[in-house]
Amino acid sequence: MIDVINLNKSFGSLSVLKDINIKIEKGEVVVVIGPSGSGKSTFLRCLNCMEDPTSGQIIFNGVDIANPKVNINIHRQKMGMVFQHFNLFNNKTVLQNIMLAPVKLKIMNKQEAKENAMKLLERIGLQDKADVYPSSLSGGQKQRVAIVRSLAMNPDVILFDEPTSALDPEMVGEVLEVMKELADGGMTMVVVTHEMGFAREVASRVIFMDEGRIVEENNPKDFFNNPQNPRLKDFLSKVL
Amino acid sequence: MGNFSVKWDTFWEIFFEQGGSNRVLEGLLNTLKIAVLGLILGIIIGTLIATVRVLPKYKVLPRILNGFCSFYVGLFRGTPVVVQLLVGYFVVLPLCGMHFPSLNVCIAIFGLNSAAYVSEIMRGGINSVDIGQMEGGRSVGLSYKTTMLSIIIPQAIKNILPTLGNEFIALIKETSVVSFVGASDLFVAFNYIGSNSYDFIVPYLVMAIIYIVLVIFISLLVKLMERKLQKSDRRN
Repeated sequence: MIDVINLNKSFGSLSVLKDINIKIEKGEVVVVIGPSGSGKSTFLRCLNCMEDPTSGQIIFNGVDIANPKVNINIHRQKMGMVFQHFNLFNNKTVLQNIMLAPVKLKIMNKQEAKENAMKLLERIGLQDKADVYPSSLSGGQKQRVAIVRSLAMNPDVILFDEPTSALDPEMVGEVLEVMKELADGGMTMVVVTHEMGFAREVASRVIFMDEGRIVEENNPKDFFNNPQNPRLKDFLSKVL
Repeated sequence: MGNFSVKWDTFWEIFFEQGGSNRVLEGLLNTLKIAVLGLILGIIIGTLIATVRVLPKYKVLPRILNGFCSFYVGLFRGTPVVVQLLVGYFVVLPLCGMHFPSLNVCIAIFGLNSAAYVSEIMRGGINSVDIGQMEGGRSVGLSYKTTMLSIIIPQAIKNILPTLGNEFIALIKETSVVSFVGASDLFVAFNYIGSNSYDFIVPYLVMAIIYIVLVIFISLLVKLMERKLQKSDRRN
């Protein structure tokens, strides 16, 4: 589904991603872990060109979206993103947040979008919050709304950029629960996270990044129980 | 000051019996016309300038436009509004072989002048909106333009409303120089009353009070609007 070929990204003279190659298949849950500064967030943000790759290709559904001539907006409709700081639209109610893109992009009419949004809110148990503004939600509720906002576009894949890092510890669970449900439903997901439990339990593949490179990738069982790379061994010994 | 009541009587006489009230009313109307239309013009042009200035500058055209806009802002913020009025009315228009009523020229000059300030206010307002709002919009496939119009600018306007109110207040006060090019505003009206009675104490005092009442009224209006726009900030 996503085929990353020789991806490089530098900010000025600072090289953040070095020659990344990875294939992500439909239905896979790929979890990316690594120390801070390893480039994992930049890698994720390059996947939907939130950061423009310096060189390399990102083939998504057969199109190289890293090509600046491609209309990225069309492809982002099929590639949702969930942010660390939620990034809900502050001037819109919860319902409007979810309805906005499908209506503006003429994928649904208002009535359909509203019904769809209410259905999604029901799924995360927040239908009673439909008409409030994001400022009155808790962090966990915001992130769940952010997840269904990206779901409203019916994406092929959702990118998660440290979705639980800005949450109070007691709210992490409810967000991970929604993500787990998505994974069980067959959604393709790429998740940058520090939640090792989630990686172990939900991931179909775990990737370890260090200094802008993918240094190890494996199924979660072997990844955690039998790490090969010394840097990964060191990292796991600190976080587990 | 001992015969203040006499001065007061003289003022009332000219005000009511010699057509002073009509002049004051006309002056007040002109003052408001210049300030309100000037601000509207300023907001329209200012928004355009601010848009050009926050646009990403990868390409050549935005860069050229940006250069022109920063020159414009520098020019209008770098000269007093009286000078702009005088140069506009007595230099630029005659050189172009054109003539317009002085009131219209005043509206245009005040509009151009406040556009420079409004554009800077707008730019600050747009930049003050968290970058995550833009990323959130772009991540669901909305274009830069749509995200700007339906997410960023509404939040920016909320942020800048108090400042925009101040700009309007400043504009109202600055209009008191339009007599330089022959437009008749509040100042001209009271000056007329003063000249007719050879006594300026009461007319200028009343003029000051009218200006203050105007400003207080506008501040109240701005506060009301602000409260209405802050709906999304309140917990409910």
